[in-house]
Amino acid sequence: MIINLTKISAEMKITVPDLITRQMGRAFFERIQDKMKAMHEDETLLLDFEKVSVVDSSFIDELIIKLIRLSKISPSPFFIKLKNISEAVEINIDLVFDSYSSYNKDKMAVITEGICRNHAYFIGHLDEKERDILDYLRINKTATADEIGKFMGTSARELHRALEELYSMRLIRKSIQSQYFPV
Amino acid sequence: MDRSTVILLPDKFRDPNYFEEIIDIKDDVLTGARTLDLSKIAFIEPYSMISLLLLGKLYLKNRGDRLKLINIPIPIHQYLDRMDFFGNGLFVTDEMLSEKMLYKRSAFSKSVIEITEIPNKERESIKVIREIIALFRKRSSNILKYRMTDNIIEYFVTVISELCQNIYEHSLDSGFLAMQTYSMGKENIVRLVISDSGIGIRKSFENTASVSYDSTADLIEKAITMPISSKREFGYGLCQVNSIVKMLNGILFIRSEDAYVTTLYHKKTQGSAVMFSKNELSRFSGTQVSITLSS
Repeated sequence: MIINLTKISAEMKITVPDLITRQMGRAFFERIQDKMKAMHEDETLLLDFEKVSVVDSSFIDELIIKLIRLSKISPSPFFIKLKNISEAVEINIDLVFDSYSSYNKDKMAVITEGICRNHAYFIGHLDEKERDILDYLRINKTATADEIGKFMGTSARELHRALEELYSMRLIRKSIQSQYFPV
Repeated sequence: MDRSTVILLPDKFRDPNYFEEIIDIKDDVLTGARTLDLSKIAFIEPYSMISLLLLGKLYLKNRGDRLKLINIPIPIHQYLDRMDFFGNGLFVTDEMLSEKMLYKRSAFSKSVIEITEIPNKERESIKVIREIIALFRKRSSNILKYRMTDNIIEYFVTVISELCQNIYEHSLDSGFLAMQTYSMGKENIVRLVISDSGIGIRKSFENTASVSYDSTADLIEKAITMPISSKREFGYGLCQVNSIVKMLNGILFIRSEDAYVTTLYHKKTQGSAVMFSKNELSRFSGTQVSITLSS
């Protein structure tokens, strides 16, 4: 499902480029949650930030962090991907994730459609192994743990924990035959 | 005029640290004065101007009357008028400037955001925040003319939004914002000030058992380095502001009640401390924040 934030702004009679304040984040979350009723399990929610210059941390907390949490605990879990994010939007999301992770000793990341300042296709802090897995899957589209292990010079067993962690963070997909896919 | 009710203010309106001397005489003003003599003031910058406004607000609240300003030097009067200082009705003065002495509001002089009140109600406040940001975007090329770098406009939009939201979310009071670029000697300065005279950071955390601290300054330090919140599980606002000031190599100054914390990222060298704090200062209601970039 594609959600264009500029279109939601227009529906709410708010003019972009700035999506700011906690109240606005809450209102967006409610609207998006309503639209998400039409989504099926494991579908990707593509948030399109076209024409958005700034999102502040209050908006990020009320919309993006809530959606990331929901993607993991919803009875119908889903994946999230961000599209058309400006550098300032990326920096602000990264700063919030950074504060969250350093305080909670818990990782938070989200997949992006375009390349980010970290030369990868995600915002957040992942270790090198996790980063390599995301890169491999983005290029190869599908792989087993063995195939990824061969590429990285490690065993599938050693990779298991990282793959499960990425899957639980909703950063990669997994089939019942233990094939892995990018979001 | 009864001279005992007149307090001559010293020339300490040059930056947040100097202004501490004005706060030190705050109790004399609130209990004994009726009139403030500004004749010694040679310069006034946005933080001191807004703090003076808060002093006037406190006076009105405590005494039910407005403080009178006298002997305002003409350049100071012109500046205060240009910044809409008198528009809030917190002070009285008999001294009026003629029309031809007032600063013109030309596009060239729009290197300021005049004093704007941030209401303490969410709905009204959000409307004002959006108006301020729209005005800032319009004037940003003047305000940031000495510091125009990638994303700096977006950084300030974020900072303005976060700090203004803190007023209605945490202070239980309204507040003020002002922004200006100005020169002092060879230094070009951009200063954003967002202040209130509300309950202060410490009181807003009073019922938050999960956050421990041993002084007001310690709590301020925690609030700018960790995503703590007095209202919800996490609060990212002040951390975000601090991170942005760090990226811009600026100065963040936060004063609340009896303490301040300042981060001097512009003077950072390898291994040096950037954060300084002070407790047991003269008490001044609310939270005052100043962000400064200099070049």
